[in-house]
Amino acid sequence: MNNITLGKYIPLDSPIHRLDPRAKIVAMFALMICIFIPTGFYGYAVIGALLVICCIAAKLKVSYVLRSFKPMLVMMLFLSVVNAFFIKTGEPIFTIKSFTLYSGAITQTLYIVIRLMLMIVITTLLTATTKPLDMTLGIEDLLSPLQKLHFPTHDVAMMISLALRFIPQLLEEAERIIKAQASRGVDMENGSLKEKIRAILSLIVPLFVSCFQKADDLADAMEARGYVVGAKRVRYKQLKFRFGDVMTIVLVNVLLAGFITAAIWMGKNNAL
Amino acid sequence: MSIRFEKVDHLYSPNTPFAFQALTDVSLELSEGKITAVIGATGSGKTTLVQHLNGLLLPSSGSVIVGEQTIKAGEKLKNTKQLRKEVGLVFQFAEYQLFEETVLKDVAFGPQNFGVDELTATETAKAALKTVGISEEDYEKSPLELSGGQKRRVAIAGILAMQPKVLVLDEPTAGLDPQGAKSMMDLFRRLNREQKITVIIVTHNMEHVLEYCDEVVILEKGRLIFHDSAREFFEHPQFMERARIDAPNIIRFREMCRQKGLELSPDILTVQQLAREIAKRRKKR
Ligand SMILES: Nc1ncnc2c1ncn2[C@@H]1O[C@H](COP(=O)(O)OP(=O)(O)O)[C@@H](O)[C@H]1O
Ligand SMILES: [Mg+2]
Repeated sequence: MNNITLGKYIPLDSPIHRLDPRAKIVAMFALMICIFIPTGFYGYAVIGALLVICCIAAKLKVSYVLRSFKPMLVMMLFLSVVNAFFIKTGEPIFTIKSFTLYSGAITQTLYIVIRLMLMIVITTLLTATTKPLDMTLGIEDLLSPLQKLHFPTHDVAMMISLALRFIPQLLEEAERIIKAQASRGVDMENGSLKEKIRAILSLIVPLFVSCFQKADDLADAMEARGYVVGAKRVRYKQLKFRFGDVMTIVLVNVLLAGFITAAIWMGKNNAL
Repeated sequence: MSIRFEKVDHLYSPNTPFAFQALTDVSLELSEGKITAVIGATGSGKTTLVQHLNGLLLPSSGSVIVGEQTIKAGEKLKNTKQLRKEVGLVFQFAEYQLFEETVLKDVAFGPQNFGVDELTATETAKAALKTVGISEEDYEKSPLELSGGQKRRVAIAGILAMQPKVLVLDEPTAGLDPQGAKSMMDLFRRLNREQKITVIIVTHNMEHVLEYCDEVVILEKGRLIFHDSAREFFEHPQFMERARIDAPNIIRFREMCRQKGLELSPDILTVQQLAREIAKRRKKR
């Protein structure tokens, strides 16, 4: 349970941590778009270098970032194997019996794997340096133009922040119940299908019961403090753009423009 | 079954920014056939300590020896099931672990996990439910229909049905009314005396320690600072002060008498005994 690093906030003090969440969310989207603009390996090198600098500035440990790749490893392996068999473009590199490996398969796989890795690093950077609550404030502010269309941004933000707030608690609760059932001899890994189903039930049922109880208590507590769905609320924490935030947004937009220009230029040259 | 801790450290989430050392250099031998209280402030590592007893947590360094089994840092547990069966661990707020449709089925769940057939498991479950004082008409009810105190009794029965040699309870009386808590403690004493089960209880209630426990283990910030008989513990009020615990009324009364020059025997543990002693002394005069 504690090995899940993707999406966990790391409480440190760094320039990246101090950035306004809105600036970080905008930057994340801009970088994601950059990744999908076809500029070849040069573009990836630029983004990669930028991300390395950001990770260092955010004081994130290399091991931590590497660990966030773990859940994707299986998928990457699978992709590599599939690509090796099905992509038949480029030069043949070697042949074993009836199987030939083409250079196209290698470059295509590298493209996808690097793209995935960059995306993971970008999301890890955002979630590791932004408190969940700040994140929801940021999302709420960025969505606020939708209020004109009667989109309930407040309620959505409240729902997201409640959900985020309960994730660690749920994980903790799940771990507690797993341990309690393990004390009664439940073995989540081994056993027949019937035993496994019962083992999973012994986790899910208590988890659901306690979730509903918690939701009930929370609703009561919120109402007792005067929360009304849809009513206008003021906010204690105000987000403020500072120089660094403005610079971040300008920078990623320049980068985005650069990527688009590069892509168009490359496209023309290739066409010629 | 003998239980020994040898220089045990426990580190949560090692090699992450969240790493936390919850136990430091704990060496300890728990007496067989006794009732031992584990006390200490919240966060002092009591839960962490007792979860080593059935291998839910493994030491980061050092070793835990339970009966025949040695749980060494860095080694995989060999006979997990056997250990879990012999050391029954009741979690704090154990009522949250109930999941079956009926009380009886839930209690029979434990023994079945250890390979006992359904019929025998049901028989042991019935016996366990009887021991904890759940009446027969509740056997076929859903656990969710019971009161909080009853649910906890069912959860304890679920562990007793495994017929453990050692019973470990993490704050078993937290959140119960005083009457319910007392009868719960009576139950543990009965199990200890009649079935010779070694009982280890994590608790904050000094009245219970005074009345029911033979030995006391005190943790402070993950370190063992005291392990001796309960009698010795109550003779040394500085440990209670250190653990920020209020002494039980009887002990305070005894201290007050001593300051006024009246010595009362440390064997006096209950109000009844105290009343008898005072009556006896008055007669003598
Ligand atoms: N899963 C965990 N991960 C990290 N730290 C933990 C975990 N469980 C407990 N701790 C920490 O270890 C310390 C001891 O916890 P615990 O053994 O539960 O104390 P007690 O039962 O005496 O209140 C606490 O400071 C707690 O925050
Ligand atoms: Mg505890």
